[in-house]
Amino acid sequence: MLPSFTRGVAAPSGAFGFFCTVILVVLACLSSTASAGGHTNNWAVLVGTSRFWFNYRHLANVLSMYRTVKRLGIPDSQIIMMLSDDVACNPRNAFPGTVYNNADRALDLYGDNIEVDYRGYEVTVENFIRLLTDRVALDTPRSKRLLTDDRSNIFIYMTGHGGNEFLKFQDAEEISAFDLADAFEQMWEKKRYHEMLFMIDTCQANTMYSKVYSPNIIATGSSEINQSSYSHHGDQDVGVAVIDRYTYYNLEYLEKNVQPNSKHTLKELFDSYDNDLIKSSPGIRTDLFKRKLDEVLITDFFGNVQNVEVDGDGLRGREDLIALSRLAANLTARYRPDRECGRRSAKKDVKQSMKKEAKQEAKQKGVKRDEEKKVMQSGGFNGEAIQTQQKKRVGAMRVEEKDSWGRTAIGGGALVACAFAWAVSSVL
Amino acid sequence: MHLLSSLPKLRLFLTIITLSICLPLASTSSSVSSASSTATPSQAPSEHDYNEHLTLRPLPGNSLLASFNFKSNGSLDHGDHMLLFPRSLKQVLTASWARELHVKFTLGRWNAEEYGVQPNSGRTAGGTGVEVWAWVEAGDEEEAFARWTTLTNALSGLFCASLNFIDATRTIRPVLSFQPTGHHSDATLSRLHLLHGSLPREPVCTENLTPFLKLLPCKAKVGISTLLDGHKLFDANWQSMSIDVRPVCDDNGENCKLEMEQAVDMVVDIERSLRRRDSPIPKPRPHDQLLCDETKPYLTEDASCFPLDNLFDLGWSLSEIFGRPITGTCPFGVKEGVEALRVCLEVPDSRPVFLSVGSQERKFDPQNRCFLLPGEGYFDMILPKQRPPTLSPSTPPALFAERSFTGYGQERGGVQTILRNPSLTHSVDFVYLESLPWFMKPYLHTLSARLSGSPQANNEAFIKETYYRPALDRKRGTHLEIRMSVPRNSTVLLTYDFEKAVLRYTEYPPDANRGFDIAPAIIGILESQGVVGGVGGGEGRKVVSYLRTTSLLLYLPTPDFSMPYNVIILTSTVIALAFGTVFNILVRKFVLKSEVPKLGGRVSGLVGKVKNLLLKKRGKE
Repeated sequence: MLPSFTRGVAAPSGAFGFFCTVILVVLACLSSTASAGGHTNNWAVLVGTSRFWFNYRHLANVLSMYRTVKRLGIPDSQIIMMLSDDVACNPRNAFPGTVYNNADRALDLYGDNIEVDYRGYEVTVENFIRLLTDRVALDTPRSKRLLTDDRSNIFIYMTGHGGNEFLKFQDAEEISAFDLADAFEQMWEKKRYHEMLFMIDTCQANTMYSKVYSPNIIATGSSEINQSSYSHHGDQDVGVAVIDRYTYYNLEYLEKNVQPNSKHTLKELFDSYDNDLIKSSPGIRTDLFKRKLDEVLITDFFGNVQNVEVDGDGLRGREDLIALSRLAANLTARYRPDRECGRRSAKKDVKQSMKKEAKQEAKQKGVKRDEEKKVMQSGGFNGEAIQTQQKKRVGAMRVEEKDSWGRTAIGGGALVACAFAWAVSSVL
Repeated sequence: MHLLSSLPKLRLFLTIITLSICLPLASTSSSVSSASSTATPSQAPSEHDYNEHLTLRPLPGNSLLASFNFKSNGSLDHGDHMLLFPRSLKQVLTASWARELHVKFTLGRWNAEEYGVQPNSGRTAGGTGVEVWAWVEAGDEEEAFARWTTLTNALSGLFCASLNFIDATRTIRPVLSFQPTGHHSDATLSRLHLLHGSLPREPVCTENLTPFLKLLPCKAKVGISTLLDGHKLFDANWQSMSIDVRPVCDDNGENCKLEMEQAVDMVVDIERSLRRRDSPIPKPRPHDQLLCDETKPYLTEDASCFPLDNLFDLGWSLSEIFGRPITGTCPFGVKEGVEALRVCLEVPDSRPVFLSVGSQERKFDPQNRCFLLPGEGYFDMILPKQRPPTLSPSTPPALFAERSFTGYGQERGGVQTILRNPSLTHSVDFVYLESLPWFMKPYLHTLSARLSGSPQANNEAFIKETYYRPALDRKRGTHLEIRMSVPRNSTVLLTYDFEKAVLRYTEYPPDANRGFDIAPAIIGILESQGVVGGVGGGEGRKVVSYLRTTSLLLYLPTPDFSMPYNVIILTSTVIALAFGTVFNILVRKFVLKSEVPKLGGRVSGLVGKVKNLLLKKRGKE
């Protein structure tokens, strides 16, 4: 096995060699990181599950978190936002295109640069679980997928109306704590996260994470079983409550203390919770988590600070490397007989060959079509151009009343014949 | 925000110059007007170019129509080299084999009676919600639909809209209403499939504007697009964002390029936007500031008032309406020459206009007064208050259309469309297209057209051609396309009845009691009989302009969604009762009380036995 590997590396020429080195480096990184701790990318899933205008505060909660994670460095492409209703452009909103989380209206959460990935009726339990487990439909665009790996730290924030071990979605269905726990487990099995912070603001929120059993998850919620979570305050001009207490005090801490490079830990955040202010008992669950809370930076989940690791020998995981270099060699041999360049043109080649195939197909079909046309024309079809097109394709058909008297006569005749047959049979 | 807008204003007022009516522009205007370029520039098309312009047209009732137009061109080949054409969109088009694409986001109501014909003859606006149609190249219908699904899904990711909801039930294949607007070779044309989908319920908001602006080469950072602010756009009475992508060639079919036209049209209520600038919360105007019509008898001692409007044109400026002035110019457009970037105003020459320093007025056509942007810095435009109001003539549309539901009850209903031809001299021919969801099932035999006022239906006189594809439950919707003609100066009522389906429990949306939105009817006005030529349309006639009715809200029989739980609870109780009784009867033996052996007897017997045992033991000892 080893010789083939050395051949692949020792005799690279030009761009193909470069291609191989790229793969080597990537693999080296992968193999080394598999053992070491830390994360290399951050993702956030922010879910507001309540429909209707009077649940404005839930969407404001989500948008506040969106602002925070964006402020701390997670790009839009790594934030999946699910907003179950449109409050910003709701006709009831006195401030169109704007969502506030405070009656002082100092901060417009909707701003002018916002991307909502799932909105309105798309926010369903099914879509949420599909998103987490990445069991999505074939054509799902990237922006609607959680493209995480085993080095991703994920922050999941949910808010809405809930109860003992459930959270309502859209006032029509609910996700249970068991569904959630199983989805997390499936994520773990599929190596879709490294560490996860699960935060939920709803009534009896702590019950939602009580069933979770997968490792490396910190969970926190706004209230215990049989406790309600309350809104913080309302804005009389907006006309509804604008934010929930638990989220409000989380944000207060994050806004005041946390910058992208700050070293505050999750312990400090959790210690800042004041039951008297929040008016419920926030819960924290750490039994699934390996590290100590005072070692976990807030920016490990809210920010996008990545660990850069300088790789040592770079030659671990040789077998993978060998397999991959073989694969690369095969690919290049297939698409690159002149061994000229690397990845990009290989792709192009694939495209071109596909195009060629498509062209040939098109030609064949075109010929068929022409034949069809000819047949139609020779068959004395004297209709309009549109009608010939119409014949070819599925679609609306022209409604015509042709020879209606004749048809009536035929129908009548058939009816009379039936009546006659019946009469004869009854007589006999 | 306030700081931003007040600073340039200060500068502006310091450096303002007056371009009055009498400024001798006549000479320049005549020289330039010969090179007037309207919709399609006639100069040799270079592959990558860009131009943007803004046209402002005052509408009656102190409204203002602002039409933004951005055109960027890219090369048509499948290479990865992108200069101005957005790469993200090009990749989507390539992957889905879409050769021509139209996406429209529209909200609000266009008041045709007052505003007249829609901007660009209705070409850029869509129906309420989101509307998409595309010509997809494919060998057969199935492949076309698969590619269409790819396209709508990709667009849903790109534009943050639920376009992935456009499935088979919301897709139709119009026959007469649309024709490709780009240049396609005959070989391609025969393989193109037109697919059309609409989502009338879709909200349009900032998250749709953000990706829209990101497609622009200058990304709303400089140039005319800096005026596009979601807070103003979504406060408009009517607004529409549209994207049209098509291949464009010169007359010989060579030098082809891919053209993308992005347009934003909005109707701003000037009074409202000026008022909101001071205070976003509406308050009634103090009594002494009300303008009352004193000729009306309403004016009584308790000071009730019949309000007067249109006494004068309100004064406004760009930065007051849009919240900020235009910042700089987009450098990509500058390359093409200064004419590429301009702001035009459709006001008569008699209305004074104040401009920021450095901008010039140019005449491109008689109705317009265009202003070229200064190279850098801010551009603002101030129109002072004017009394009496200038009457801006609006072009009436060729047809007025209104659609509504008739009938009552939960089982069936009817649709009535009132089609009025305002022309005194010409009849109007048009195509009427309806795309109905499967749960609204029209009866085609009830389709009738009659003159308003006459009780007798006269289908032959008005309906020329009907294309119909009936709905299949949960598989596809109804497609109804009618070519009609309305005689001059008359009103025709088009009516049909329909039946409402009963949905399954899980098919109702979370807010089922709100009702179901029915997509607007699309009306394509055909060119008048004299001119024949072009492709598509009825009898080979082209569609020259579009208008759309409003969407409808259909109320379906909706269950009480908690009812199943009540039923479950009640049923469980009944079953428990019945089962319990039967079970008891089966496993227990019912006897009279007197027949029951005494419990106490048994116990005492036991005790006695134990006693006896003990006694025996003692006796032995």
